[in-house]
Amino acid sequence: MNIKQLNILLADDDTDDCIFFKIALDELLLSTHLTVVHDGEQLMQLLMNETNESPDVLFLDLNMPRKNGFECLSEIKLSKKLNQLPVIIFSTSFEQEVVNQLYQNGAQYFIRKPSEFSQFKKIIQHSLALIAQENTSQPTRENFVITVQNSLII
Amino acid sequence: MIKIKNLNEENELIIAHKDLAHQKEENEKLLTGLIIANKELVFQNDEKEKRAAELIIANKELVFQNEEKEKRAEELIIANKELAFQNEEKEKRAAELIIANKELAFQNEEKEKRAAELIIANKELAFQNEEKEKRAAELIIANKELLAFTYISSHDLQEPLRKIQTFVSIILENENENLSDTGKYNFQRMQLAAGRMQQLIDDLLAFSRINTTDHKFEKMDLSIIVEEVKTELRDTIQEKHATIEAAELCSAHIIAFQFRQLMYNLISNALKFSQPDIPSHIIINSSIVKDSKLNNRKLSPEKSYCHITIKDNGIGFEPHFSERIFEVFQKLHGKDVYAGTGIGLAIVKKIVENHNGIITATSELNKGATFDIYIPTA
Repeated sequence: MNIKQLNILLADDDTDDCIFFKIALDELLLSTHLTVVHDGEQLMQLLMNETNESPDVLFLDLNMPRKNGFECLSEIKLSKKLNQLPVIIFSTSFEQEVVNQLYQNGAQYFIRKPSEFSQFKKIIQHSLALIAQENTSQPTRENFVITVQNSLII
Repeated sequence: MIKIKNLNEENELIIAHKDLAHQKEENEKLLTGLIIANKELVFQNDEKEKRAAELIIANKELVFQNEEKEKRAEELIIANKELAFQNEEKEKRAAELIIANKELAFQNEEKEKRAAELIIANKELAFQNEEKEKRAAELIIANKELLAFTYISSHDLQEPLRKIQTFVSIILENENENLSDTGKYNFQRMQLAAGRMQQLIDDLLAFSRINTTDHKFEKMDLSIIVEEVKTELRDTIQEKHATIEAAELCSAHIIAFQFRQLMYNLISNALKFSQPDIPSHIIINSSIVKDSKLNNRKLSPEKSYCHITIKDNGIGFEPHFSERIFEVFQKLHGKDVYAGTGIGLAIVKKIVENHNGIITATSELNKGATFDIYIPTA
């Protein structure tokens, strides 16, 4: 994973969650570059800007001001420039119907933010490892949700 | 004198001769007249014969007509009798109709009375209907509010709670050497409390979702559901060295995802409340029964029911708690002894009620518990 620096984009309006994410990346000692945006409009402006290089992965919160994660995901999947970008949904709540909808809309993975920080780290590590394999085809529905349990197996 | 006499005689002869001639003439005239009369008579005779022949024919005709008239008369007598009979019948019928008419008039009156009553009843129903529509509209609003609350609790309440937990775990992980033992202990208690609150929110959400989700009934083999739950609880089953017997379960008319939750809650309860030194043994049975044999007032005697029994050899409970255990937040043990929020069995009961069924629990302390579920087969 050290061979190539991963460009990570995080879209989350919650300051605390952004702090957790940064601490986790720092502690994991991964060669990554993190960009953070705090609402959906900022996110789409950044992604659509021709001069910017597309990130390797987007961690997308669902509940954001101005434009929510659902809308952003749809726009990304409709855009020729962005539809190959792996989008990992990063959400507090877990509702089966919502998860099904996100899978149908083309999200790469779904993560329910764990409350235990060590688990938080493990899940981020695991998901970045999956992205680093550069396999951007959508996984099967059973493998769509990344949990602490399946993070431990790999 | 002779001469004169002769003369006289001659004269007399002439006169006689003249008489004779005259007589002859007269006779001839007479004869001619007679011939004419005779001819006339012959003609008349002929005519009379013709007439007689005609009369014979006419007579025959009359005889025939007479006969026909007699026949007709006979027929008319019969027809008359028939008409007389019919007339009598009609009079009878008329009498009956008068009675029937009176009856109809009475019925009509009754119907008018009934119609008037129905109009009143109808107005009353229309009013009640209106009231029900108002209530339904209110319920829709209340339901929307409940859904909004569900969403708030599922997302907004969980978020700050999760962050408290994350911050605590960062402190415990990264500041471990800077903390005193009391400090560490207090943070651990804080973590437990937050974890418990998270469990409460999750369980409350599960409880409220039982109300809000669409109810889709389908015929399903209960053994499939039990197998799914066994897979889900595999780790706990191993840990408790538990055996679950569930042979020959029947099919039931159920809301699949709710029934899976019901089985999950009951089996995980049985595993949780097992005796510390005895491996958990859970027996699940099912059969189709008629209520006439069940004698339960809450069940309809005509219907048949799917009767499911879940029996364990766990710690059980005192018989007087058999109703209370199904109430929300009711627990029989401190949370340090047996973790839980006291919602699991309330969810079970609600699911059974969604299936128009009943659930009972029987137990004695330390003698295991049996849960009996009855749900209609259709």
